[in-house]
Amino acid sequence: MATTLGKNTPILVMIAIITGLLTFSFINSNGDFGDFGITVLSGLFQGMLLFLVASGLSIIFGLMDVLTLAHGAYFMIGAYVAYDVQHPGGVIDLTAAIPDPNLRFPVALIAAILVGAGLGVILERGLLRPLYSRPIFQLVMTFGVSLVMVEIVKAIWDTTIYSWQDRFGLQESFFELFGQQFSVYRLFVVGIGFVLIIGIALILRRTRIGIIIRAGVEDRQMVEALGINVQLVFTVVFTLGCAVAAFGGGIAAPFLGASNNLATDFLLQAVAVVVLGGMGSYEGTAAGSIMVGLAIAVAQKAAIGTAFTVLPSITPMLLLILILLLRPSGLFGSAHSS
Amino acid sequence: MSAPVLEIRNIHTFIGQFHILEGVNVSVPQGSITVMLGRNGAGKTTTLKSVMGLTPPSQGAILFEGKPIHGKRPYHIAQLGIGYVPEHRAIFKTLTVRENLELAERQAHDLEKRIDFIFNLFPAMRQFYHYPAGNLSGGQQQMLAIARVLVPENRLLLIDEPSEGLAPVIIEELMAAIQKLAETSTVLLVEQNFRMASRLADRYVILDDGQSRVEGVMPELIKDEQLIQRYLGVA
Amino acid sequence: MTTRLIENLRENWLYWLIILFLLAFPFLVAAQTGSSPFGEPRGDRMVMRGESVRWQAVMIEIFILAILAMSYNLMFGFTGVLSFGHALFFGLSGYIIGLMLEYTGLDNGIALILGIGLAIAINGILGLLIGLVSLRLKGVYFAIFTLAVAEMAFIFFGRFALTRAEDGFTLTHVPIWLDATQNRITLYYVALGMGIFTFFAIRRLINSPTGAVFKAIRENEDRAQSIGYNTLTFKLIAITIASMLAASAGVLQVLLNKKVGPELLGIGNTVDPLLMTIIGGIGSFTGPVIGATGLHLLDTNIREATITIGSTVLHVSDFWGLLLGAIFILAVMVFPQGVVGTWIRLRMRWQKFTKSA
Repeated sequence: MATTLGKNTPILVMIAIITGLLTFSFINSNGDFGDFGITVLSGLFQGMLLFLVASGLSIIFGLMDVLTLAHGAYFMIGAYVAYDVQHPGGVIDLTAAIPDPNLRFPVALIAAILVGAGLGVILERGLLRPLYSRPIFQLVMTFGVSLVMVEIVKAIWDTTIYSWQDRFGLQESFFELFGQQFSVYRLFVVGIGFVLIIGIALILRRTRIGIIIRAGVEDRQMVEALGINVQLVFTVVFTLGCAVAAFGGGIAAPFLGASNNLATDFLLQAVAVVVLGGMGSYEGTAAGSIMVGLAIAVAQKAAIGTAFTVLPSITPMLLLILILLLRPSGLFGSAHSS
Repeated sequence: MSAPVLEIRNIHTFIGQFHILEGVNVSVPQGSITVMLGRNGAGKTTTLKSVMGLTPPSQGAILFEGKPIHGKRPYHIAQLGIGYVPEHRAIFKTLTVRENLELAERQAHDLEKRIDFIFNLFPAMRQFYHYPAGNLSGGQQQMLAIARVLVPENRLLLIDEPSEGLAPVIIEELMAAIQKLAETSTVLLVEQNFRMASRLADRYVILDDGQSRVEGVMPELIKDEQLIQRYLGVA
Repeated sequence: MTTRLIENLRENWLYWLIILFLLAFPFLVAAQTGSSPFGEPRGDRMVMRGESVRWQAVMIEIFILAILAMSYNLMFGFTGVLSFGHALFFGLSGYIIGLMLEYTGLDNGIALILGIGLAIAINGILGLLIGLVSLRLKGVYFAIFTLAVAEMAFIFFGRFALTRAEDGFTLTHVPIWLDATQNRITLYYVALGMGIFTFFAIRRLINSPTGAVFKAIRENEDRAQSIGYNTLTFKLIAITIASMLAASAGVLQVLLNKKVGPELLGIGNTVDPLLMTIIGGIGSFTGPVIGATGLHLLDTNIREATITIGSTVLHVSDFWGLLLGAIFILAVMVFPQGVVGTWIRLRMRWQKFTKSA
């Protein structure tokens, strides 16, 4: 009994926190299902965006022991590329080639993914690989890369904050429930998020590369000694992680636009998610993303009209501190991973 | 005697600034079980790791079936047909027994072809096939670590201290299994348990202070109590 | 007594020389450029114009950065504790002294002294508290925890109405004798004194038995623990001292710029000392000072420069961040031991070479 409880503590803590958040939100909405639903959808939406950054961060850390501080910059680049491709002017102007904005958006997303993947390969092969024996320096170096990427973005797109102009069908449509207008696009992003959460879980559970990744999290050297080219797996995982982050930026752009701040904002929140979930634990990252997303949305709702407008921005950090104090290795983290 | 499967020629290996191997020569003939003996810290484990490329030697040569393998990456060395069973049975505890074995596949269906052989050798593997390997007992984990190198076609097996921390009954079982393996592959073994080593191996190499001192055939070593006393400190 | 002095002089002659040079620096620049080290009088006030006072400001900034980097090095370089929240102590002390001067209505002199004392004391206690709750976290977890705390403070003060949120507030009640726009040279000597104190205090500490334990923790905490040291206590000592030193740097920063704002708490004030420590040389006494001096001189001199290639004029300030990032990456990839470490390695190689020749 004691062991089952011990084993399930993270899940119980998580359920308790999410239930607490939802209950608070429901009371905060005065029992209005429409209001409550809007908050929950907004929370899930933000949680999914966080997951797109945090999942790569978490798997890369687990497998390669690298906390890549450049990951937020990939999200930012994704947003810029998607914005650029979708809108007239800019580096790539596809408004003539693909006049339909509904068709242009998927192309913009693909462009974001490709750019993210390309920059990912460059970072892993060129800069990270020579530093595998010096983890602290990797931390510092990826931070430098993040600075450089922000500067490159400034050089190409200037320091202007772009807000999304070119509205397309999915973004414009709403459905009505409990007397409230719900955004179809947000629902769509949440759906994609869930598909990815389950898809990545299946890859990790069922495929050979998944087995290699999980084994590599335990003991890289032994995986290599079994005849598997671990460095190649590193490159693949790192590249995919960057591609997913850039995809996240692209898919968020219609809501958040494109700006320099995205890099730091999402990096800090995603790092908070990864750490509070337990570093290297995929379940922890998925659960943590949803938890933090919901917490932010609930805080945003609660802060309206009060003096605590700071609350939503510090919510991820508050949650992180709270959970680290309760469980020093994060929710799903094992004690030995440090 | 046929040409050696593995030949280690005067290798030097550093770990950090420490000069661990200072000239090790080992020759492992085809079909033999060769055991490396020596005190703790003599460099036995490092020799195996150097062969695998995990701690690459800075000097000297390592030949596998006549071809140099030093300087190659570990995965490449393994793919040539060398199986490595590390000390402390480094199995993947969160993976199931089946996943541990699948990981060792080098070609599709490797496991399918060998699974019956493995189940025959270690019946416990069948019983716990779908359970996390961390749930296995110490002896079963050691069996899994050995079973793992049986999945692909390995012509040379490097086995590091299989008996470490195991009960005598289980050691007997492991010995029988290793003897069975030696029918099809060559084995280079590191073993502290002299009784087990003397019964299993047909050849020996003694390492001391990072150097190989003596090598020969096992029956001669068993007779030479002076030598045993000098390097191994056991009677 | 005299023999000890001579001994000291022989061992530390370079340090004494540098200190003498820094003491004379405002007057040297003044003599060289024909400007006054006190600025120019306009009526009964002074105007900070001329090369000497301009250079004093540059040097004060270097002292501040050096103190900050040295305090960072005490934790990261000597004790092996990686923190991403150092800006917290720096910025918070700025807010404390600012609030004391501008919001309490006390006499300027009293408010200043009280503010300095409070800033250092509160940050020391805060460092101790943060250490108490978080130092049992390992490596990356501790770094992220400190980042979270510092980021929260940054966000909080960025929205805190009393301190004018993002805009921050300016200091108008600094006592005239320490006012950087009136008597900059006093602030220069105060900052210099603090810098020298920090340097020798850290050296003394690290060369003491306590310092030996710090280094043992850096090399292998588990082993230090198994020898019988309560490593938590020693890490607490390190973080407490480091936070107090960072607080003193924060006080000086606010007095120099006469401005308090959330940017003091920004991540830049953690990254800068980290970068300076790495570039100068981790775990060496002079490394952080060299890193701070080099980077700040680069910053002030190159940032304003323009490069003309043919007909195009490039402003360095436009790609300053890019340049800084590139230096960052280069330093980590090529000179991981920093200036000091590389220098020592080259000298050892040279000695080996001359010996064998």
